[in-house]
Amino acid sequence: MMLMRTELHEENERGFWAGKPGLFGWIFSTDHKRIALLYFYLVLAFFLVGVSLGALIRLELIAPGATIIDAQTYNALFTLHGVIMIFLFIIPGVPAILGNFLLPLMIGARDVAFPRLNLFSWWLYLIGAVMALASLFTGGGAPDTGWTFYVPFSTDTSTNVTVAASAVFVLGFSSILTGMNFLTTIHRLRAPGMGWGRLPLFVWAMYATAWIQLLATPVLGLTVALIVLERVFDAGLFDPARGGDPLMFQHLFWIYSHPAVYIMILPGMGIVSEIIPTFARKRIFGYWAIVVSSLAIAFAGSLVWSHHMLTSGMSDMGVFVFSLLTFLVAIPSAVKVFNWVATLYKGSIWLAAPMLYALSFLILFSIGGLTGLVLGAAATDIHVHDTHFVVAHFHYVMFGGAAFAFFGGLHYWLPKMFGRMYDQRLAAIAWAILTVGFNLLYFPMLVLGLQGMPRRYFDYLPQFQPLNLFATVGSWVLVAGLLLMFYTLHRGCRHGAPAGADPWGGTTLEWSVPSPPPTENFEEDPRVERDPYDYRIGEEGP
Amino acid sequence: MRCVARLPLLLFPPIAVFLLLAGLAAGAPPPLPPPEIPAAHQHEHQHPPSASAEIDVGLTEKLGETIPLDLTFLDESGQPVTLRDLIDGPTIIAPVYFHCPDVCNFLQGGLAQTLPQLKLRPGEEFRVLSVSFDETEKPATARGSKKNYMASMGDFPPGAWRFLTGDLNTIHRLTDALGYRFQRQGRDFLHPVAVAVVARDGKIVRYLYGTRFLPMDLQLSLVEASQGKIGASIKRVLAFCFSYDPVNRRYVFNLLRVTGGVVLLTVSGFLAWLVLSGRKKSKRDG
Repeated sequence: MMLMRTELHEENERGFWAGKPGLFGWIFSTDHKRIALLYFYLVLAFFLVGVSLGALIRLELIAPGATIIDAQTYNALFTLHGVIMIFLFIIPGVPAILGNFLLPLMIGARDVAFPRLNLFSWWLYLIGAVMALASLFTGGGAPDTGWTFYVPFSTDTSTNVTVAASAVFVLGFSSILTGMNFLTTIHRLRAPGMGWGRLPLFVWAMYATAWIQLLATPVLGLTVALIVLERVFDAGLFDPARGGDPLMFQHLFWIYSHPAVYIMILPGMGIVSEIIPTFARKRIFGYWAIVVSSLAIAFAGSLVWSHHMLTSGMSDMGVFVFSLLTFLVAIPSAVKVFNWVATLYKGSIWLAAPMLYALSFLILFSIGGLTGLVLGAAATDIHVHDTHFVVAHFHYVMFGGAAFAFFGGLHYWLPKMFGRMYDQRLAAIAWAILTVGFNLLYFPMLVLGLQGMPRRYFDYLPQFQPLNLFATVGSWVLVAGLLLMFYTLHRGCRHGAPAGADPWGGTTLEWSVPSPPPTENFEEDPRVERDPYDYRIGEEGP
Repeated sequence: MRCVARLPLLLFPPIAVFLLLAGLAAGAPPPLPPPEIPAAHQHEHQHPPSASAEIDVGLTEKLGETIPLDLTFLDESGQPVTLRDLIDGPTIIAPVYFHCPDVCNFLQGGLAQTLPQLKLRPGEEFRVLSVSFDETEKPATARGSKKNYMASMGDFPPGAWRFLTGDLNTIHRLTDALGYRFQRQGRDFLHPVAVAVVARDGKIVRYLYGTRFLPMDLQLSLVEASQGKIGASIKRVLAFCFSYDPVNRRYVFNLLRVTGGVVLLTVSGFLAWLVLSGRKKSKRDG
């Protein structure tokens, strides 16, 4: 009897961590929380690899000419940096880690709809990742096409594009299955009382994301499959001399890869929509406006792919239409930004680490979004196309936006996942270093791009050196900030003080269960009787 | 509750619009500039080239190799000149034919637009050679072509851009050395659209693709040529001047339509299932 009580106590304290131990207990677990952590460790490992590659690229560009590596190595480095960051970090990052962990908790379910499929998705991710790594060391050397695999170069180059493209194919399936799983979960497993109007905004964001994953990712699978077909069987699909069309590749590729940008940013927006009301102690401003704008972004974002090809030789009409549609996407994005700012207005703001990240998200994402309009307008795009301006733009959106939101999410929910709290002061210092480093690194690139420095070049004219030096120093600051952030989080998760069920005073369902949550999530099915952002709980008193 | 549960039905119109747009994009006119062969030339295309693998047109980069400098061409005034005389520094070689109805003009127009913007002294720090690969063309045609481009370039020194013609053997020795493969089609040609940059000793240091060049690209390659460095190629998308086969093209678009249709049908079916099946009954409820 005594023994049982100790075990129970341990189960309460360690939550799902107390489940089946050992490697096999983890890699064959169908618990959504364990799968989320499996993703967590893999994704973070790849993120660190991606960061290292990015830092090497910057180091090479510190001075004109060959500095530390030769041109071919440089081409391979930026290709891998892109492939790893996009397919292995930022696309799976938020949905697979935070989405997996939180989605069932937030809607009051015990797990996702298809737990085994969920585990299978992780295995596919693992296999895809191993294949991506294998492409570096086998065949004719690491791919050098850039992450976009443009034909005809990708079908002609002697490097190992076939394996890399197959890896992307497998990773795509992982993404599709995760999306399908989440959609079914949200439709079918909501707790009693959890109507569509009471879904936390993070869930809505995951919902919009999942539709894009389901609708667009098959096109990517098809596209990379065509590359493999072309390389292995020489099918001539993209070879104009045989009736093929190289531009068709760009269409197919961007039909997926532009919506993929929203797979990356929408979950980030969802995170920010959770953090801001919690730390402003105020109901989110315009709940439905945010929901509808998420769906509108998912929808309109599927119609703008050709703005990546404004200079590829489309008809003028095509350029005009896609330019216009691109501007339309800015509207729902701006609606969200205004709603977040309005939520902050007269809020009782608590500048804890998650909030700091959410605030820098607001600013960095806005810079990224507005520079996106410069690129979406056909006239200005011709000037800055394929320059460092583009590099700066998407790093502002993807890193300053999606990744900062992800870091904010980690600071917000890691105490829930690990049951322990990190050092707030260190976290704030890491955030400050990271934000400063980020801007030092990417802002000069905007200027360099306007001055005409092309992207993807291993070399540049001497006049660009001062700003490049600036950016490279910025990359060191950024890396220092990242290391400090990970150190702080790691130490917090290991040795921090117990966080308690609801360290931030959050109102969504995941805060109503212990940290870390028990394997079954809820002892009994919760009944939802409040809005997700109802902060009057404390005011009403006992 | 029931009416909010049906909210995802809102997604149907978006999917329909997506389908429509995808269809439009697929049916859009071919994006590569199709080589419109003027009506006057049509009769020479009695047997239009079938798009088969037999046509060997393309560009195999030969970076680092040297072109033979002892080749003799005729310049625009009809004087015989050797490449050794002309290439006395970094040189851009543009293989074209002067009566080309299409992209050769764009390519040379692209050069004419970009060359005056370079911060290098033409004639001293770099030279340009347009070399006709049509052995039937005479210096008079070259002269006309040169006059055209010079007129648009302000005070660009005429000696810095030469327009050459030559015999078949000489032409092939040059194009083979460049890895440039073209094919005659009646009066016209199938050929890649690219220029090569060579150093003073004839070493090939870069290829630049397409018809428009960034001053930065050209300048960087010329600077590298003057230092004898070999750079990676710029703009790897190789454009072709070609007669395409509409039959094959239609086949390609069918592939796109069929797969797109399958994806959309599957996804709509899934949405219908989600909406129709409703919420799952919890075991604990029962």
